[in-house]
Amino acid sequence: MSPMHKIARTFQRPLHLLGDWAMGWFHHIGGLGLLTWQVLVYLLPWKWNFDGPETWRTMYRVGVKSFPIVVVTAVLVGAIMVIQSGLYIEQYGAHGLLGWGAGYAILRSVGPILIGLMFSGRVGANNTAELGTMKVTDQIDALRALSIDPVAYLVMPRFMAMIVMMFLLVVVGNATALIGGALTSQFLLDVNMVLFFQSVVTYVLLEDLMHGLMKSVAFGFAIAIISCYFGLQTSGGAVGVGRAVNASVVGSAIALFAIDYAITYAAL
Amino acid sequence: MGHIEFRDIYKSFGPKHVLRGVSLNVDPGEVFFIIGQSGAGKSVLVKHLIGLLRPDSGRVLLDGVDVTDFKEKEFYPIRKRCAMVFQNSTLFDSMTLVDNVALPIRKHRDVTVKEAREMAVDKLRLVGMHTYAERFPADFGDGMRKKVAIARALTLDPEFVIFDEPTTGIDPISAAMVDKLIRHLSDNIGVTSIVISHDLRSIFGIADRIAMLYQGKLLLDGTQEDYKNSDNPIIQQFIQGQPEGPMEV
Repeated sequence: MSPMHKIARTFQRPLHLLGDWAMGWFHHIGGLGLLTWQVLVYLLPWKWNFDGPETWRTMYRVGVKSFPIVVVTAVLVGAIMVIQSGLYIEQYGAHGLLGWGAGYAILRSVGPILIGLMFSGRVGANNTAELGTMKVTDQIDALRALSIDPVAYLVMPRFMAMIVMMFLLVVVGNATALIGGALTSQFLLDVNMVLFFQSVVTYVLLEDLMHGLMKSVAFGFAIAIISCYFGLQTSGGAVGVGRAVNASVVGSAIALFAIDYAITYAAL
Repeated sequence: MGHIEFRDIYKSFGPKHVLRGVSLNVDPGEVFFIIGQSGAGKSVLVKHLIGLLRPDSGRVLLDGVDVTDFKEKEFYPIRKRCAMVFQNSTLFDSMTLVDNVALPIRKHRDVTVKEAREMAVDKLRLVGMHTYAERFPADFGDGMRKKVAIARALTLDPEFVIFDEPTTGIDPISAAMVDKLIRHLSDNIGVTSIVISHDLRSIFGIADRIAMLYQGKLLLDGTQEDYKNSDNPIIQQFIQGQPEGPMEV
């Protein structure tokens, strides 16, 4: 090989890798867009297509089974928020602001994002693994062979269940986080929990609650689309399922922070 | 009604050329076997019929209608007429056996869930699996799962059934039962069966016609007698199951 060829190859290789990387990203962005479009089309009243038993099964698996882990996480989040702010509350004697500080942060952002990450790790990863396994064992093709649209039968119930259950889990999570914060303020900081809740009710606005709940719906949407997309794209056996789950969890986490930033910025 | 034609089908996956110009005709009501080495393209060929794969070139005709360029949704009516039993049974792990079989009934027939389950149990009875209706696929081995997959494929009373290795992994008595069922479907109901198999006992037991694929091409399309009398050494090596011979492994 001539020296000129060697130099050319040295420059070509990084460009080749960059091209591959960019093509991979565009492939995924296009695929996510297409799946979102298909899902939105099925939401139209004249295209409405849901499988009742599959939807209820998914609701139970996604929501009810996630309930304990969300409650535990939320109680600890509330406690941590109060402990972190406790130092300054003591310093300035602003006990009446403890509930507002913790409540504002929990309801607007910390609650939805942490519950979203838990939800993505538990439900999203499980969903990608299930769909991925179905894909590599030809169960998706078997559905197609039975004239059943995999998007209508598998994706739509998961999409609805994840949005509805993410919303409800954030409602429950917000309440339990506030209870966790109140108990911590009472027993650790010696701030009366009645004062804590009075502070929450007085200073935290309905708008703050709605802001967080809006995020929860957007998070549920993103986790559902991303986890279903990577599941349905799986190839390459057990190794492929592992790769798909990894991509799904990382993709969901990035999407959650991006959405959180966008909604927070838009609400300024 | 029920005529299938593959016309000069080519299919590659990346650099691997699986089918290199295969042409076949399957007549209504016959039990048509496709045989050949593993990786010869048998499953790939039949998946073109119901649109699970699309050819790189060539045409697929069903009752004279060219379905090659049909869109996914246009294949749905065809898939109701043409069922497929996959090589690895493909039962849905999250459902009981009866729910697996009831699913296509529930989705395509105007019946209640209870009625669909009752009809599913009847189909399970056909393959001797009705006593395990409420158990999950994971509780069973490949052979029993395959029998349930056959029951599921028959739920919509199809005109054509593609059986991809239906007797692989099944005990000889159950295999004979499956063979009898395939023959029964053809002789008494007029169902056209395309059977992919390596099972010589099945092939020379129930086949009306046999097509052998070798290196992506059709080697011979003929009756059981044509195969027995063939002087092609590759065919003789295959049907006698000899490890040594001209066939490239």
